[in-house]
Amino acid sequence: LGAGQSIQQTYDLTRYLEHQLRTLAGTYLNYLGPPFNEPDFNPPRMARAERVPSATVDLDLWRGLTDNARLAANYRAYSRLLCYLRVLDGQVGTAELRHRLSHFCASLQGLVLSIGGVMSSLGYPLPAGPVGPPGPPGASAAPNDFLKKMDDFWLLKELQTWLWRSAKDFNRLKKKVPPAVVTLRLEARGF
Amino acid sequence: DSHVQYERVGADVTMKCGSMDWDAAVTWTANGTDIDESHLNGSYLILKNVGLSQSGQYFCYEGSSWHLKYQTNLRVGTPPKEPVLMCRSNNYPKGFYCSWHLPTPTYIPNFFNISVIHGTKDMVCEKDSPPKNRCHIKYLQLFSTVKYKVTLTVTNALGKNFTTLTFDEFAIVKPDPPESVVAKPVPNNPRRLEVSWQNPSSWPDPESFPLKFFLRYRPLILDQWQHVELSDGTSHTITDAYAGKEYIIQVAAKDSDIGTWSDWSVAVHATPWTEEPKHLTTEAQITETTSVSTSSFMAPPTTKICDKGAVVGS
Repeated sequence: LGAGQSIQQTYDLTRYLEHQLRTLAGTYLNYLGPPFNEPDFNPPRMARAERVPSATVDLDLWRGLTDNARLAANYRAYSRLLCYLRVLDGQVGTAELRHRLSHFCASLQGLVLSIGGVMSSLGYPLPAGPVGPPGPPGASAAPNDFLKKMDDFWLLKELQTWLWRSAKDFNRLKKKVPPAVVTLRLEARGF
Repeated sequence: DSHVQYERVGADVTMKCGSMDWDAAVTWTANGTDIDESHLNGSYLILKNVGLSQSGQYFCYEGSSWHLKYQTNLRVGTPPKEPVLMCRSNNYPKGFYCSWHLPTPTYIPNFFNISVIHGTKDMVCEKDSPPKNRCHIKYLQLFSTVKYKVTLTVTNALGKNFTTLTFDEFAIVKPDPPESVVAKPVPNNPRRLEVSWQNPSSWPDPESFPLKFFLRYRPLILDQWQHVELSDGTSHTITDAYAGKEYIIQVAAKDSDIGTWSDWSVAVHATPWTEEPKHLTTEAQITETTSVSTSSFMAPPTTKICDKGAVVGS
């Protein structure tokens, strides 16, 4: 699969996940109950939530990212988000929600692999070092139930924002990496 | 002394003639017209249940010397109601703008103050020059999970009010309509129309933030629109147009991932290509015209037309 198709596939998967998460997040926030499922709920971001990788980025910095840095940022973020999400998945009380969460985790795992595939097809090394989270924010570490729910709220919100950022990232890459050219370059280097 | 005096509609107003005693002989005028004695209580002017029409310049003169003792500009109005505030990003990711208006006029000057807070950060809102009630905020960061909180406070001499909007960055993204919409017939294709348009010029980076489009079209003779969504490119060929019928066409735009659809573009009209009538002899023309007039509303040739024999009573 050429890099161009691989990027397109990753973009499509991102859009699919974004759509999936919209309904899943709504269901989960209803499961958490008020105030977490209220549209205007706008809590301060606690220090605990900072451990979840933030999609927020300076505009010029984001524009200036190299393809490698752009992909690596996505790869690291989803690898960590996946770990946090798996912790969530293990604690949910309702079977239906647990099923949907694990299905989503599987799809997110697919995205991580897809990003890795794009990086390899472009000749970039996968990010070294620990990709998983230092310590999941939602685990028993949360001193009380409300803070645990707050962690879950920010995790879902960050994940939603990452998916939206990634759609833009892969859009940019699609434009910069036309399928044919890349294949030739790889062949020339004896792949 | 002279100054501006603001009073609410319906208020009772008492004006003192400067330093003149209550029982001094005075004359009051409003916008140059003497005020009837019935409005006076001694030298005081009493205005009951003032209305907007009683706004104006009020003068008080000492009875005999006609010295001006008091002057005021009475402005009758109302305190501001809760303002209507709208924020929108039509040039994402550059920034967004907020615009506002009062639901009802106050008839006196109002002063607006807007604050934009992102998390803990105060953001500058560059105001347009009056009378435009609008200001612009530049995004410093993108893809933020923290909501923006915009508070608009309106103050006038008679009161104060405010409103607050809280929103996510992606929720207010709404492009302007597509521009330069053009629709053309396709020669030798009686059922096709070629439509093209451009990204709204206010959308700064269609490369990184591509738009998708929604095209709607219908023949003028029908009310039902047909729609088609297009995620790539800025042109489309309609292939199912009714032959010879004038069409109205509009386009809308949306960021391919976030936000809401733009308003519809300006409508354009076009009629599919039709064959030029041939230069025939008179008799041929009559025959041709008769057959053309009966077939102009015929369904597309692919549809089977029932046989003459099958028609009841023919």
